[in-house]
Amino acid sequence: MSAPIIKLTNLKKYFGRLEVLKGIDLEVQPREVVCVIGRSGSGKSTMLRCINFLEEPSEGTIEIHGLVIPAGGKGKEHQQLVHEARLVTGMVFQEFNLFPHMSILENVMEAPIIVKGMDHAKAKEIAEMNLARVGMLFKKDEYPLRISGGQKQRVAIARALAMEPKVMLFDEPTSALDPELIGEVLEVMKGLAKEGTTMLVVTHEMEFAREVADRIVVMNEGELIEQGKPEDILNHPQHEQTQALLDRYRTGKK
Amino acid sequence: MNLLPQKESAPKSHVELLYQAFQRKERIFRMNVGISWGVLLLILVFLFSGQEWTLAGIPFKTIKVDSEFIRANMVFIAGGIGETIKISILSIMLAIFLALMAALGRLSRFPPFYALSTFYVSLIRGTPLYLQIFFFFLALPQLGIILPGLWAGVLALGLNYGAYMSEVFRAGISSVGKGQREAAIALGMTNGQLMRRIVLPQALRFAIPPMGNDFIAMTKDSALVAATGFVHELMWRAVKVGRAQFHNLEALIMAAIFYWVMTLFLTAIQSRIEARLSKGDR
Repeated sequence: MSAPIIKLTNLKKYFGRLEVLKGIDLEVQPREVVCVIGRSGSGKSTMLRCINFLEEPSEGTIEIHGLVIPAGGKGKEHQQLVHEARLVTGMVFQEFNLFPHMSILENVMEAPIIVKGMDHAKAKEIAEMNLARVGMLFKKDEYPLRISGGQKQRVAIARALAMEPKVMLFDEPTSALDPELIGEVLEVMKGLAKEGTTMLVVTHEMEFAREVADRIVVMNEGELIEQGKPEDILNHPQHEQTQALLDRYRTGKK
Repeated sequence: MNLLPQKESAPKSHVELLYQAFQRKERIFRMNVGISWGVLLLILVFLFSGQEWTLAGIPFKTIKVDSEFIRANMVFIAGGIGETIKISILSIMLAIFLALMAALGRLSRFPPFYALSTFYVSLIRGTPLYLQIFFFFLALPQLGIILPGLWAGVLALGLNYGAYMSEVFRAGISSVGKGQREAAIALGMTNGQLMRRIVLPQALRFAIPPMGNDFIAMTKDSALVAATGFVHELMWRAVKVGRAQFHNLEALIMAAIFYWVMTLFLTAIQSRIEARLSKGDR
Protein backbone atom coordinates (compact mmCIF):
# COMPACT_ATOMS: atom_id res chain seq x y z
CA MET A 1 0.00 0.00 0.00
CA SER A 2 1.20 3.47 -0.82
CA ALA A 3 1.75 6.17 1.78
CA PRO A 4 -1.44 7.32 3.50
CA ILE A 5 -2.78 10.72 2.52
CA ILE A 6 -4.00 11.39 6.05
CA LYS A 7 -2.43 9.93 9.13
CA LEU A 8 -3.60 10.97 12.57
CA THR A 9 -1.45 9.84 15.48
CA ASN A 10 -2.71 10.04 19.05
CA LEU A 11 -4.84 13.06 18.18
CA LYS A 12 -6.30 14.76 21.27
CA LYS A 13 -8.46 17.83 21.61
CA TYR A 14 -9.63 19.61 24.73
CA PHE A 15 -12.31 22.28 24.88
CA GLY A 16 -11.48 23.86 28.19
CA ARG A 17 -11.33 20.90 30.59
CA LEU A 18 -13.49 18.72 28.38
CA GLU A 19 -11.59 16.04 26.49
CA VAL A 20 -13.38 15.77 23.15
CA LEU A 21 -10.84 13.60 21.34
CA LYS A 22 -9.05 11.01 23.45
CA GLY A 23 -6.17 9.99 21.21
CA ILE A 24 -7.34 9.14 17.71
CA ASP A 25 -5.23 7.06 15.32
CA LEU A 26 -6.51 6.97 11.78
CA GLU A 27 -5.12 6.54 8.29
CA VAL A 28 -6.76 7.34 4.99
CA GLN A 29 -5.21 5.90 1.83
CA PRO A 30 -5.26 7.62 -1.57
CA ARG A 31 -8.51 7.01 -3.50
CA GLU A 32 -10.15 5.63 -0.37
CA VAL A 33 -13.63 6.68 0.80
CA VAL A 34 -13.92 6.58 4.59
CA CYS A 35 -17.19 7.31 6.36
CA VAL A 36 -17.13 8.34 10.00
CA ILE A 37 -20.25 7.56 12.00
CA GLY A 38 -21.11 8.12 15.62
CA ARG A 39 -23.58 9.84 17.88
CA SER A 40 -23.81 13.61 18.12
CA GLY A 41 -21.05 14.78 20.40
CA SER A 42 -18.85 11.76 19.75
CA GLY A 43 -16.12 14.05 18.39
CA LYS A 44 -16.35 13.08 14.72
CA SER A 45 -16.78 16.66 13.44
CA THR A 46 -14.04 17.89 15.76
CA MET A 47 -11.69 15.26 14.38
CA LEU A 48 -12.47 16.37 10.82
CA ARG A 49 -11.98 20.03 11.72
CA CYS A 50 -8.61 19.28 13.30
CA ILE A 51 -7.33 17.90 10.00
CA ASN A 52 -7.40 21.33 8.32
CA PHE A 53 -6.82 23.14 11.61
CA LEU A 54 -10.18 24.85 11.85
CA GLU A 55 -9.72 23.49 15.35
CA GLU A 56 -6.21 23.58 16.71
CA PRO A 57 -5.47 20.05 17.97
CA SER A 58 -4.23 19.87 21.55
CA GLU A 59 -1.90 16.88 21.26
CA GLY A 60 -0.73 14.39 18.70
CA THR A 61 0.43 14.63 15.12
CA ILE A 62 -1.36 15.23 11.86
CA GLU A 63 0.28 14.01 8.68
CA ILE A 64 -1.32 15.11 5.50
CA HIS A 65 0.00 14.52 2.00
CA GLY A 66 3.52 14.23 3.38
CA LEU A 67 3.31 17.28 5.64
CA VAL A 68 3.96 16.37 9.27
CA ILE A 69 2.33 18.85 11.62
CA PRO A 70 2.60 18.32 15.36
CA ALA A 71 -0.12 19.77 17.59
CA GLY A 72 0.51 22.97 19.48
CA GLY A 73 2.98 24.36 16.94
CA LYS A 74 3.57 28.09 16.83
CA GLY A 75 5.29 30.63 14.66
CA LYS A 76 5.71 31.21 10.96
CA GLU A 77 6.84 27.70 10.08
CA HIS A 78 3.80 26.13 11.70
CA GLN A 79 1.51 28.65 10.02
CA GLN A 80 3.03 27.80 6.66
CA LEU A 81 2.48 24.06 7.24
CA VAL A 82 -1.12 24.69 8.26
CA HIS A 83 -1.64 26.82 5.16
CA GLU A 84 -0.30 24.02 2.96
CA ALA A 85 -2.48 21.48 4.74
CA ARG A 86 -5.50 23.63 3.94
CA LEU A 87 -4.49 23.81 0.30
CA VAL A 88 -4.44 20.02 -0.07
CA THR A 89 -7.77 19.53 1.71
CA GLY A 90 -11.17 20.61 0.45
CA MET A 91 -13.91 21.01 3.00
CA VAL A 92 -17.68 20.85 2.66
CA PHE A 93 -19.71 22.12 5.59
CA GLN A 94 -23.09 21.18 6.95
CA GLU A 95 -24.35 24.74 6.43
CA PHE A 96 -22.81 25.16 2.91
CA ASN A 97 -21.34 28.58 3.80
CA LEU A 98 -21.47 29.93 0.28
CA PHE A 99 -20.49 33.59 -0.01
CA PRO A 100 -23.84 35.37 -0.39
CA HIS A 101 -22.43 38.51 -2.02
CA MET A 102 -20.95 36.58 -4.93
CA SER A 103 -22.57 34.77 -7.82
CA ILE A 104 -22.30 30.98 -8.02
CA LEU A 105 -19.47 31.28 -10.54
CA GLU A 106 -17.65 33.89 -8.44
CA ASN A 107 -17.99 31.66 -5.38
CA VAL A 108 -16.07 28.93 -7.18
CA MET A 109 -13.53 31.27 -8.82
CA GLU A 110 -12.70 33.24 -5.68
CA ALA A 111 -10.16 30.99 -3.97
CA PRO A 112 -8.20 29.97 -7.08
CA ILE A 113 -7.77 33.66 -7.90
CA ILE A 114 -7.16 35.03 -4.40
CA VAL A 115 -5.28 32.14 -2.83
CA LYS A 116 -3.49 30.58 -5.80
CA GLY A 117 -3.08 33.80 -7.80
CA MET A 118 -4.59 32.14 -10.85
CA ASP A 119 -5.53 34.40 -13.75
CA HIS A 120 -9.18 35.16 -14.32
CA ALA A 121 -9.65 33.19 -17.54
CA LYS A 122 -8.07 30.02 -16.17
CA ALA A 123 -10.03 30.28 -12.92
CA LYS A 124 -13.25 30.67 -14.88
CA GLU A 125 -12.47 27.61 -16.96
CA ILE A 126 -11.79 25.52 -13.85
CA ALA A 127 -14.85 26.88 -12.08
CA GLU A 128 -17.13 26.07 -15.00
CA MET A 129 -15.68 22.60 -15.31
CA ASN A 130 -16.31 21.89 -11.63
CA LEU A 131 -19.80 23.40 -11.71
CA ALA A 132 -20.54 21.09 -14.62
CA ARG A 133 -19.23 18.18 -12.56
CA VAL A 134 -21.85 18.83 -9.87
CA GLY A 135 -24.54 19.72 -12.42
CA MET A 136 -24.76 23.37 -11.40
CA LEU A 137 -23.34 25.15 -14.43
CA PHE A 138 -26.83 26.22 -15.50
CA LYS A 139 -27.12 28.42 -12.39
CA LYS A 140 -23.66 29.98 -12.60
CA ASP A 141 -24.91 33.58 -12.71
CA GLU A 142 -27.45 33.19 -9.89
CA TYR A 143 -26.79 34.25 -6.33
CA PRO A 144 -26.78 31.71 -3.48
CA LEU A 145 -29.98 33.18 -2.03
CA ARG A 146 -31.88 32.06 -5.12
CA ILE A 147 -31.04 28.37 -5.17
CA SER A 148 -32.18 25.42 -3.06
CA GLY A 149 -30.22 23.89 -0.20
CA GLY A 150 -29.24 20.87 -2.25
CA GLN A 151 -28.02 23.11 -5.03
CA LYS A 152 -26.07 25.21 -2.56
CA GLN A 153 -24.30 22.15 -1.26
CA ARG A 154 -23.43 21.03 -4.78
CA VAL A 155 -21.94 24.46 -5.45
CA ALA A 156 -20.03 24.24 -2.16
CA ILE A 157 -18.58 20.92 -3.36
CA ALA A 158 -17.57 22.52 -6.67
CA ARG A 159 -15.98 25.40 -4.77
CA ALA A 160 -13.83 22.99 -2.77
CA LEU A 161 -12.96 20.92 -5.86
CA ALA A 162 -11.82 24.01 -7.76
CA MET A 163 -8.80 24.20 -5.45
CA GLU A 164 -7.83 20.71 -6.69
CA PRO A 165 -7.37 19.22 -3.24
CA LYS A 166 -5.82 15.81 -2.59
CA VAL A 167 -8.56 14.86 -0.14
CA MET A 168 -12.12 16.03 0.40
CA LEU A 169 -13.49 16.42 3.92
CA PHE A 170 -17.27 16.34 4.31
CA ASP A 171 -18.77 17.47 7.62
CA GLU A 172 -22.32 16.11 7.69
CA PRO A 173 -23.01 17.47 4.20
CA THR A 174 -26.68 16.49 4.14
CA SER A 175 -27.72 17.13 7.74
CA ALA A 176 -29.05 20.63 7.08
CA LEU A 177 -31.07 19.56 4.04
CA ASP A 178 -34.74 18.79 3.64
CA PRO A 179 -35.16 15.04 3.02
CA GLU A 180 -36.11 15.48 -0.63
CA LEU A 181 -32.89 17.38 -1.34
CA ILE A 182 -30.47 14.89 0.20
CA GLY A 183 -30.43 12.56 -2.81
CA GLU A 184 -28.95 15.02 -5.30
CA VAL A 185 -26.01 15.78 -2.99
CA LEU A 186 -25.33 12.11 -2.29
CA GLU A 187 -25.43 11.43 -6.04
CA VAL A 188 -22.71 14.02 -6.60
CA MET A 189 -20.63 12.48 -3.82
CA LYS A 190 -21.05 9.01 -5.28
CA GLY A 191 -19.85 10.39 -8.60
CA LEU A 192 -16.73 11.80 -6.93
CA ALA A 193 -16.06 8.47 -5.22
CA LYS A 194 -16.29 6.69 -8.59
CA GLU A 195 -13.78 9.13 -10.06
CA GLY A 196 -11.34 8.04 -7.36
CA THR A 197 -11.53 11.11 -5.14
CA THR A 198 -10.14 10.51 -1.67
CA MET A 199 -12.93 11.32 0.77
CA LEU A 200 -13.38 11.45 4.51
CA VAL A 201 -17.09 11.80 5.22
CA VAL A 202 -18.74 12.45 8.57
CA THR A 203 -22.32 11.36 8.01
CA HIS A 204 -25.55 9.99 9.39
CA GLU A 205 -26.51 8.49 6.01
CA MET A 206 -26.07 4.77 6.62
CA GLU A 207 -27.22 3.72 3.16
CA PHE A 208 -24.70 6.05 1.57
CA ALA A 209 -21.97 4.64 3.79
CA ARG A 210 -22.95 1.09 2.94
CA GLU A 211 -22.96 1.78 -0.79
CA VAL A 212 -19.99 4.10 -1.23
CA ALA A 213 -17.55 3.70 1.66
CA ASP A 214 -14.49 1.50 1.43
CA ARG A 215 -14.30 1.62 5.19
CA ILE A 216 -16.49 2.78 8.04
CA VAL A 217 -15.03 4.24 11.20
CA VAL A 218 -17.16 4.36 14.36
CA MET A 219 -16.55 6.98 17.01
CA ASN A 220 -17.91 7.13 20.51
CA GLU A 221 -17.12 9.63 23.27
CA GLY A 222 -13.94 10.87 21.63
CA GLU A 223 -12.60 7.44 20.79
CA LEU A 224 -12.41 5.38 17.67
CA ILE A 225 -14.11 2.21 18.78
CA GLU A 226 -14.36 0.18 15.62
CA GLN A 227 -13.54 0.23 11.91
CA GLY A 228 -13.90 -2.09 8.97
CA LYS A 229 -15.69 -2.84 5.73
CA PRO A 230 -19.23 -1.44 5.55
CA GLU A 231 -20.93 -4.83 5.48
CA ASP A 232 -18.97 -6.01 8.53
CA ILE A 233 -19.64 -2.87 10.56
CA LEU A 234 -23.27 -2.49 9.57
CA ASN A 235 -24.22 -6.17 9.67
CA HIS A 236 -21.97 -7.54 12.38
CA PRO A 237 -20.92 -4.74 14.71
CA GLN A 238 -18.47 -5.95 17.33
CA HIS A 239 -18.77 -3.10 19.79
CA GLU A 240 -21.93 -2.72 21.84
CA GLN A 241 -21.96 1.06 21.25
CA THR A 242 -21.93 0.48 17.49
CA GLN A 243 -24.86 -1.86 17.93
CA ALA A 244 -26.67 0.76 19.98
CA LEU A 245 -25.93 3.41 17.35
CA LEU A 246 -27.26 1.27 14.51
CA ASP A 247 -30.37 0.42 16.53
CA ARG A 248 -31.04 4.13 16.95
CA TYR A 249 -30.84 4.66 13.20
CA ARG A 250 -33.16 1.72 12.58
CA THR A 251 -35.75 3.24 14.86
CA GLY A 252 -35.33 6.56 13.08
CA LYS A 253 -33.50 8.47 15.77
CA LYS A 254 -30.13 10.12 15.51
CA MET B 1 -70.67 33.25 -32.90
CA ASN B 2 -67.26 33.08 -31.28
CA LEU B 3 -66.81 30.23 -28.91
CA LEU B 4 -63.23 31.11 -28.01
CA PRO B 5 -63.06 32.82 -24.66
CA GLN B 6 -62.46 36.53 -24.95
CA LYS B 7 -59.48 37.87 -23.12
CA GLU B 8 -61.41 40.66 -21.42
CA SER B 9 -64.24 38.49 -20.27
CA ALA B 10 -62.03 35.74 -18.85
CA PRO B 11 -62.88 35.59 -15.15
CA LYS B 12 -60.08 36.65 -12.88
CA SER B 13 -58.97 34.16 -10.31
CA HIS B 14 -59.90 34.67 -6.69
CA VAL B 15 -56.29 35.26 -5.69
CA GLU B 16 -55.89 37.88 -8.42
CA LEU B 17 -58.99 39.71 -7.20
CA LEU B 18 -57.83 39.66 -3.60
CA TYR B 19 -54.42 40.95 -4.63
CA GLN B 20 -55.95 43.76 -6.64
CA ALA B 21 -58.17 44.77 -3.74
CA PHE B 22 -55.14 44.82 -1.50
CA GLN B 23 -53.25 46.99 -3.96
CA ARG B 24 -56.18 49.36 -4.29
CA LYS B 25 -56.34 49.75 -0.53
CA GLU B 26 -52.61 50.50 -0.38
CA ARG B 27 -52.93 53.08 -3.16
CA ILE B 28 -55.82 54.82 -1.44
CA PHE B 29 -53.95 54.89 1.84
CA ARG B 30 -50.86 56.42 0.25
CA MET B 31 -52.96 58.96 -1.64
CA ASN B 32 -54.70 60.06 1.55
CA VAL B 33 -51.41 60.41 3.37
CA GLY B 34 -50.19 62.59 0.50
CA ILE B 35 -53.29 64.79 0.67
CA SER B 36 -52.90 65.15 4.43
CA TRP B 37 -49.32 66.24 3.96
CA GLY B 38 -50.50 68.87 1.54
CA VAL B 39 -53.07 70.14 4.04
CA LEU B 40 -50.48 70.33 6.83
CA LEU B 41 -48.14 72.21 4.55
CA LEU B 42 -50.89 74.66 3.62
CA ILE B 43 -51.67 75.26 7.29
CA LEU B 44 -48.01 75.97 7.95
CA VAL B 45 -47.85 78.41 5.03
CA PHE B 46 -51.07 80.02 6.20
CA LEU B 47 -49.64 80.53 9.70
CA PHE B 48 -46.87 82.62 8.19
CA SER B 49 -48.98 84.42 5.62
CA GLY B 50 -49.70 87.61 7.60
CA GLN B 51 -53.49 87.44 7.16
CA GLU B 52 -55.72 89.63 9.32
CA TRP B 53 -59.43 89.19 9.87
CA THR B 54 -62.15 89.64 12.47
CA LEU B 55 -64.49 86.92 13.59
CA ALA B 56 -67.40 87.72 15.93
CA GLY B 57 -65.69 90.91 16.99
CA ILE B 58 -62.36 89.22 17.83
CA PRO B 59 -59.44 90.21 15.61
CA PHE B 60 -57.22 87.35 14.33
CA LYS B 61 -53.93 87.56 12.54
CA THR B 62 -51.24 85.15 11.43
CA ILE B 63 -47.51 85.76 11.51
CA LYS B 64 -46.27 88.28 9.01
CA VAL B 65 -42.88 87.79 7.42
CA ASP B 66 -40.98 90.43 5.54
CA SER B 67 -41.00 89.21 1.97
CA GLU B 68 -38.74 92.03 0.94
CA PHE B 69 -36.05 90.76 3.31
CA ILE B 70 -36.50 87.22 2.09
CA ARG B 71 -36.12 88.22 -1.52
CA ALA B 72 -33.03 90.28 -0.75
CA ASN B 73 -31.24 87.61 1.29
CA MET B 74 -32.37 84.34 -0.23
CA VAL B 75 -29.37 84.00 -2.51
CA PHE B 76 -26.93 84.89 0.24
CA ILE B 77 -28.28 82.22 2.60
CA ALA B 78 -28.63 79.59 -0.13
CA GLY B 79 -24.99 80.24 -0.92
CA GLY B 80 -24.20 78.27 2.26
CA ILE B 81 -25.67 75.02 0.97
CA GLY B 82 -22.47 74.18 -0.91
CA GLU B 83 -20.39 74.67 2.21
CA THR B 84 -22.79 72.62 4.31
CA ILE B 85 -22.60 69.74 1.85
CA LYS B 86 -18.81 70.06 1.63
CA ILE B 87 -18.44 69.82 5.42
CA SER B 88 -20.83 66.88 5.56
CA ILE B 89 -19.10 64.90 2.83
CA LEU B 90 -15.60 65.51 4.19
CA SER B 91 -16.74 64.66 7.72
CA ILE B 92 -18.57 61.49 6.72
CA MET B 93 -15.50 60.28 4.85
CA LEU B 94 -13.35 60.81 7.91
CA ALA B 95 -16.05 59.24 10.07
CA ILE B 96 -16.27 56.11 7.91
CA PHE B 97 -12.52 55.63 8.04
CA LEU B 98 -12.37 56.11 11.82
CA ALA B 99 -15.46 53.95 12.37
CA LEU B 100 -13.90 51.10 10.40
CA MET B 101 -10.65 51.33 12.32
CA ALA B 102 -12.47 51.53 15.63
CA ALA B 103 -14.68 48.57 14.72
CA LEU B 104 -11.66 46.45 13.75
CA GLY B 105 -9.96 47.51 16.97
CA ARG B 106 -13.02 46.57 18.96
CA LEU B 107 -12.96 43.10 17.41
CA SER B 108 -9.20 42.73 17.78
CA ARG B 109 -7.71 40.40 20.37
CA PHE B 110 -4.58 42.56 20.55
CA PRO B 111 -5.01 44.54 23.80
CA PRO B 112 -3.57 47.91 22.67
CA PHE B 113 -5.85 48.00 19.60
CA TYR B 114 -8.87 46.98 21.62
CA ALA B 115 -8.05 49.57 24.27
CA LEU B 116 -7.41 52.35 21.77
CA SER B 117 -10.75 51.68 20.11
CA THR B 118 -12.83 51.55 23.27
CA PHE B 119 -10.96 54.55 24.73
CA TYR B 120 -11.68 56.66 21.66
CA VAL B 121 -15.34 55.71 21.53
CA SER B 122 -15.82 56.30 25.24
CA LEU B 123 -14.09 59.68 25.23
CA ILE B 124 -16.01 60.99 22.23
CA ARG B 125 -19.38 59.65 23.30
CA GLY B 126 -18.82 61.03 26.77
CA THR B 127 -18.44 64.64 25.66
CA PRO B 128 -20.74 67.00 23.74
CA LEU B 129 -20.23 67.51 20.03
CA TYR B 130 -20.48 71.26 20.62
CA LEU B 131 -17.56 71.08 23.02
CA GLN B 132 -15.53 69.01 20.58
CA ILE B 133 -16.00 71.55 17.82
CA PHE B 134 -14.88 74.36 20.13
CA PHE B 135 -11.98 72.26 21.34
CA PHE B 136 -10.56 72.00 17.85
CA PHE B 137 -11.28 75.59 17.04
CA LEU B 138 -10.55 77.44 20.27
CA ALA B 139 -8.47 75.17 22.50
CA LEU B 140 -5.94 73.90 19.98
CA PRO B 141 -4.70 77.41 19.06
CA GLN B 142 -3.56 77.76 22.67
CA LEU B 143 -1.18 74.90 21.90
CA GLY B 144 -0.04 76.65 18.75
CA ILE B 145 -2.18 74.53 16.44
CA ILE B 146 -4.40 76.80 14.42
CA LEU B 147 -6.90 75.02 12.21
CA PRO B 148 -9.09 76.83 9.70
CA GLY B 149 -12.72 76.76 10.82
CA LEU B 150 -13.68 74.26 8.14
CA TRP B 151 -11.04 71.74 9.21
CA ALA B 152 -11.78 72.15 12.88
CA GLY B 153 -15.41 71.42 12.07
CA VAL B 154 -14.64 68.47 9.85
CA LEU B 155 -12.27 66.98 12.42
CA ALA B 156 -14.77 67.34 15.22
CA LEU B 157 -17.73 66.02 13.24
CA GLY B 158 -15.67 63.18 11.75
CA LEU B 159 -14.30 62.10 15.10
CA ASN B 160 -17.72 62.34 16.70
CA TYR B 161 -19.63 60.44 14.05
CA GLY B 162 -16.79 57.95 13.68
CA ALA B 163 -17.23 56.96 17.31
CA TYR B 164 -20.97 56.44 16.92
CA MET B 165 -20.69 54.72 13.56
CA SER B 166 -18.07 52.28 14.80
CA GLU B 167 -20.89 50.47 16.53
CA VAL B 168 -22.72 50.09 13.20
CA PHE B 169 -19.60 48.70 11.57
CA ARG B 170 -18.93 46.36 14.44
CA ALA B 171 -22.45 45.02 14.21
CA GLY B 172 -21.99 44.65 10.46
CA ILE B 173 -18.79 42.68 10.85
CA SER B 174 -20.31 40.53 13.60
CA SER B 175 -23.32 39.85 11.41
CA VAL B 176 -21.10 37.89 9.03
CA GLY B 177 -21.37 34.37 10.38
CA LYS B 178 -18.59 32.19 11.68
CA GLY B 179 -19.29 29.76 8.85
CA GLN B 180 -18.25 32.37 6.29
CA ARG B 181 -14.87 32.76 7.94
CA GLU B 182 -14.41 29.03 8.28
CA ALA B 183 -15.23 28.46 4.63
CA ALA B 184 -12.69 31.09 3.61
CA ILE B 185 -10.03 29.69 5.95
CA ALA B 186 -10.63 26.15 4.72
CA LEU B 187 -10.06 27.42 1.17
CA GLY B 188 -6.67 28.69 2.29
CA MET B 189 -7.38 32.40 2.63
CA THR B 190 -5.29 34.45 5.03
CA ASN B 191 -6.92 36.68 7.64
CA GLY B 192 -6.39 39.74 5.50
CA GLN B 193 -7.86 38.08 2.43
CA LEU B 194 -10.92 36.83 4.23
CA MET B 195 -11.49 40.25 5.78
CA ARG B 196 -11.15 42.09 2.46
CA ARG B 197 -12.95 39.64 0.21
CA ILE B 198 -15.55 37.98 2.42
CA VAL B 199 -16.28 39.85 5.65
CA LEU B 200 -16.04 43.55 4.80
CA PRO B 201 -18.13 43.47 1.60
CA GLN B 202 -20.94 41.82 3.54
CA ALA B 203 -20.51 44.06 6.58
CA LEU B 204 -20.64 47.14 4.37
CA ARG B 205 -23.96 46.17 2.85
CA PHE B 206 -25.32 45.70 6.32
CA ALA B 207 -23.96 49.11 7.34
CA ILE B 208 -25.10 51.17 4.36
CA PRO B 209 -28.65 52.01 5.55
CA PRO B 210 -27.58 53.23 9.01
CA MET B 211 -24.68 55.08 7.39
CA GLY B 212 -27.22 56.91 5.25
CA ASN B 213 -29.10 57.94 8.38
CA ASP B 214 -25.89 59.20 9.92
CA PHE B 215 -25.04 61.21 6.85
CA ILE B 216 -28.45 62.88 6.89
CA ALA B 217 -28.09 63.64 10.58
CA MET B 218 -24.65 65.05 9.91
CA THR B 219 -25.87 67.57 7.32
CA LYS B 220 -27.90 69.07 10.14
CA ASP B 221 -25.28 68.78 12.88
CA SER B 222 -22.90 70.61 10.58
CA ALA B 223 -24.87 73.70 11.59
CA LEU B 224 -22.97 73.60 14.89
CA VAL B 225 -19.82 74.51 13.01
CA ALA B 226 -21.39 77.94 12.47
CA ALA B 227 -20.57 78.60 16.11
CA THR B 228 -16.91 78.93 15.22
CA GLY B 229 -17.87 81.98 13.20
CA PHE B 230 -15.51 81.20 10.36
CA VAL B 231 -17.34 78.67 8.25
CA HIS B 232 -19.87 80.34 6.01
CA GLU B 233 -22.36 77.53 5.75
CA LEU B 234 -26.17 77.75 5.84
CA MET B 235 -26.63 78.36 9.54
CA TRP B 236 -23.85 80.92 9.81
CA ARG B 237 -25.30 82.92 6.92
CA ALA B 238 -28.83 82.81 8.30
CA VAL B 239 -27.71 84.00 11.72
CA LYS B 240 -25.52 86.71 10.23
CA VAL B 241 -28.16 88.43 8.12
CA GLY B 242 -30.91 87.72 10.65
CA ARG B 243 -29.07 89.43 13.47
CA ALA B 244 -27.75 92.32 11.47
CA GLN B 245 -31.17 93.38 10.26
CA PHE B 246 -33.22 92.02 13.15
CA HIS B 247 -35.00 89.60 10.87
CA ASN B 248 -34.07 86.38 12.62
CA LEU B 249 -37.50 84.91 12.02
CA GLU B 250 -37.28 85.14 8.24
CA ALA B 251 -33.62 84.13 8.14
CA LEU B 252 -34.12 81.03 10.27
CA ILE B 253 -37.24 80.02 8.38
CA MET B 254 -35.29 80.17 5.16
CA ALA B 255 -32.44 78.11 6.60
CA ALA B 256 -34.94 75.60 7.97
CA ILE B 257 -36.53 75.21 4.54
CA PHE B 258 -33.15 74.65 2.91
CA TYR B 259 -32.17 72.03 5.50
CA TRP B 260 -35.52 70.31 5.18
CA VAL B 261 -35.39 70.17 1.39
CA MET B 262 -31.86 68.81 1.55
CA THR B 263 -32.97 66.14 3.99
CA LEU B 264 -35.94 65.16 1.84
CA PHE B 265 -33.67 64.90 -1.15
CA LEU B 266 -31.09 62.78 0.67
CA THR B 267 -33.79 60.54 2.15
CA ALA B 268 -35.12 59.88 -1.35
CA ILE B 269 -31.64 58.90 -2.55
CA GLN B 270 -31.21 56.69 0.48
CA SER B 271 -34.42 54.77 -0.07
CA ARG B 272 -33.39 54.16 -3.67
CA ILE B 273 -30.10 52.70 -2.55
CA GLU B 274 -31.83 50.57 0.05
CA ALA B 275 -34.33 49.29 -2.48
CA ARG B 276 -31.49 48.26 -4.75
CA LEU B 277 -29.60 46.57 -1.93
CA SER B 278 -32.59 44.53 -0.86
CA LYS B 279 -33.29 43.32 -4.37
CA GLY B 280 -31.85 39.94 -3.54
CA ASP B 281 -28.37 39.90 -4.99
CA ARG B 282 -26.94 40.09 -1.56
